[in-house]
Amino acid sequence: MHDIKRRAFMRGAALGALAFTVGGVEVLITPGEARAQGVPFRLLKANEGETIEALGETLVPGARKAGIAHFIDHQISVPAEEALLQARIFNVRPPFANFYRAAVGAIDRGSEKVFGRKFAQLSSVEQAELVNQMRQNKIEGWTGPPAAFVYTLLRTDAVDVVYGTMEGYAALGIPYQAHIEPEKRW
Amino acid sequence: MANEKVDVVIVGAGASGSVYASVLAKAGKKVVLLEAGPDWQLTDLISSEMWGRRIRPAGAPFRLEGKNPFGYAGQAGWGVGGAALHYFANHPRFLPNDYKMKSEHNRGLDWPISYSDVAPFYDRVARDIGMAGDAKAEEIWRPAGDPYPMPPMKTFRHGEVWLKGFESLGIRMVPAPVAMNSTDYKGRPACIYDGWCHVGCPTGALANPVVTYLGEARKANAEVRALCTATRVLTNQQGTRVTGVEYYDEKKQRQVQEAGVVVLAAWSGQNSRLLLNSTTDKHPKGLANANELVGKYMMVHSIAGIAAMFDEDIQNHLGTIGAQYMSYDRYGKTSYKGAFGSTYITCGAAQKTHDFANSRPDLFGPELHAYMKRAARGFTRISMFGEELPSMENRIELISDKDEFGLPLARLVHSFDQDAVALWTANVEEGQKAAKAAGAKEAWSGRVIPTTHLHGGTIMGTGAADSVVDSYGQCHELANLYVAGPSIFPTEGASNPTYTILAISLRGAEQLAAKWSTVAG
Repeated sequence: MHDIKRRAFMRGAALGALAFTVGGVEVLITPGEARAQGVPFRLLKANEGETIEALGETLVPGARKAGIAHFIDHQISVPAEEALLQARIFNVRPPFANFYRAAVGAIDRGSEKVFGRKFAQLSSVEQAELVNQMRQNKIEGWTGPPAAFVYTLLRTDAVDVVYGTMEGYAALGIPYQAHIEPEKRW
Repeated sequence: MANEKVDVVIVGAGASGSVYASVLAKAGKKVVLLEAGPDWQLTDLISSEMWGRRIRPAGAPFRLEGKNPFGYAGQAGWGVGGAALHYFANHPRFLPNDYKMKSEHNRGLDWPISYSDVAPFYDRVARDIGMAGDAKAEEIWRPAGDPYPMPPMKTFRHGEVWLKGFESLGIRMVPAPVAMNSTDYKGRPACIYDGWCHVGCPTGALANPVVTYLGEARKANAEVRALCTATRVLTNQQGTRVTGVEYYDEKKQRQVQEAGVVVLAAWSGQNSRLLLNSTTDKHPKGLANANELVGKYMMVHSIAGIAAMFDEDIQNHLGTIGAQYMSYDRYGKTSYKGAFGSTYITCGAAQKTHDFANSRPDLFGPELHAYMKRAARGFTRISMFGEELPSMENRIELISDKDEFGLPLARLVHSFDQDAVALWTANVEEGQKAAKAAGAKEAWSGRVIPTTHLHGGTIMGTGAADSVVDSYGQCHELANLYVAGPSIFPTEGASNPTYTILAISLRGAEQLAAKWSTVAG
């Protein structure tokens, strides 16, 4: 009981949510909610968002619905020191948008080389095959950030939105046990 | 723009800088700490892997090179508390053999001091900040000292499952010493074992600098200037004394803080970079670098991380990110035939979903999801930290790329030598044996050697011919310039460094306070 009381005391003591603009008003919603509400991207182009969603879904099922593209779009639009991206841990040099644009371009070029179409247009079997080759740096003529690094970083982004949230923990049956809960179960 | 001159300006409000600030402010000195990151409050420390990344550096002040590049951003800190705001609070001490490697093995370097010089400070730090553990149990490996102020932390099944495996190998495991509260201590609450230590503990149960030495420093009127990036250490015209620090404030405005004494207590790489960037006509190679040793002897620990899956619910979400059990039974420098260096063995760290995902980086799609479900129930791991020898080739050096203030960035070149690779390999083999004997259903290790704990760059020694600072951190070349933190370690042992950082910082700060007028002039 003592512990539960302490957790309750700490709850809500800080803000931990992402601000998206909906109808001209800033609201605190999750990336998944932003996607569901059709919130426009800040920096990503539509085709870049499609590629990221398709890759994210291939890497971690559920990443598309969880809003991986909106998450990345939001995070590359804020100052690097405010970003929650694994890119900062992997020592990517800001602005992080440069990396993601280069990565998306590399994925689509690699996809066209191997299958003749952009990544989002591939079947799920083809997408998995390409990702498996990316993971092992096996795509010949790949240009841009190293394929295995793109795999690793985007995989972490997908893990973030699917398994890194309070909902993700709940889906795996793991008690989250926050000292301070993120807002919006984020 | 010049600020009013103070007694001491400290660069970095992390573990070592906080100790210096506390000791000197309590001694009545006017202290200013310059911290590149924010002034975090405990309420900023949200329990989330993603939100926890905010207390790490963003950006790339270091280009990471060599065969085994160092994992910089995950290790370093950004903001008050430094890396110790998100550290795991494992507090093993260095053992007597760490201080005398050269004398005992004719390898590496000696420290200019012995274990007995540091031991009293270990005991004092334990009382100052609060530590839990079983000192008596550790005395099978080290000289007796004071008991820890708190009993060991609770243990959980995901740590206990390893004991049988280690026992079968003759490895004795004892309660791990940690800087966490197993009971209420000095007004801070006992730990509630939720396992979010690595993103910053907001309850105060983990002894990070914000709730220990930095808090004391503030009470004694030390001033913390957050979001202030130090760029150069300044000297007088003759080049004989340092006069203060140039920095850029929150508004990116250039400032100068003059001081009688400067203490560099930034991250190991940054201490070297700052000195190398502080060239003058009298110091054309950078400050304290006439012997060209600044930036040399960078060292890291390898981690033999053995992941294992058990066929039972071992409740891996419970506990702390610190270890439950530890052993020094492979700490002898020649514990393994064909390898050299100490190993520190730990088990029982709580696991989060990112740990599961990172433990099988090859998996994606439905296979990853199936694995995550299994890992939530039965995944655990051990970490065996391995020492490497100091080498001039592992170094910090400036590059032509500049930061936002126009100062050269640096590269950190790091490669493990044959001894370090052999030690890591031996540890992996032994760890896998332990997992098998413990009854793990599966056990595996990655093929890339993980790196952790950066040391070196401004090492201590007996004189200017072989080192940058003396055993207190005082520069041989400039008497009123001190360097603090693991950058002054001449060898790195295999123990997590923070306890020793705090102990030698306390020793250095008290020496500085005691001979203040001689140093500050």
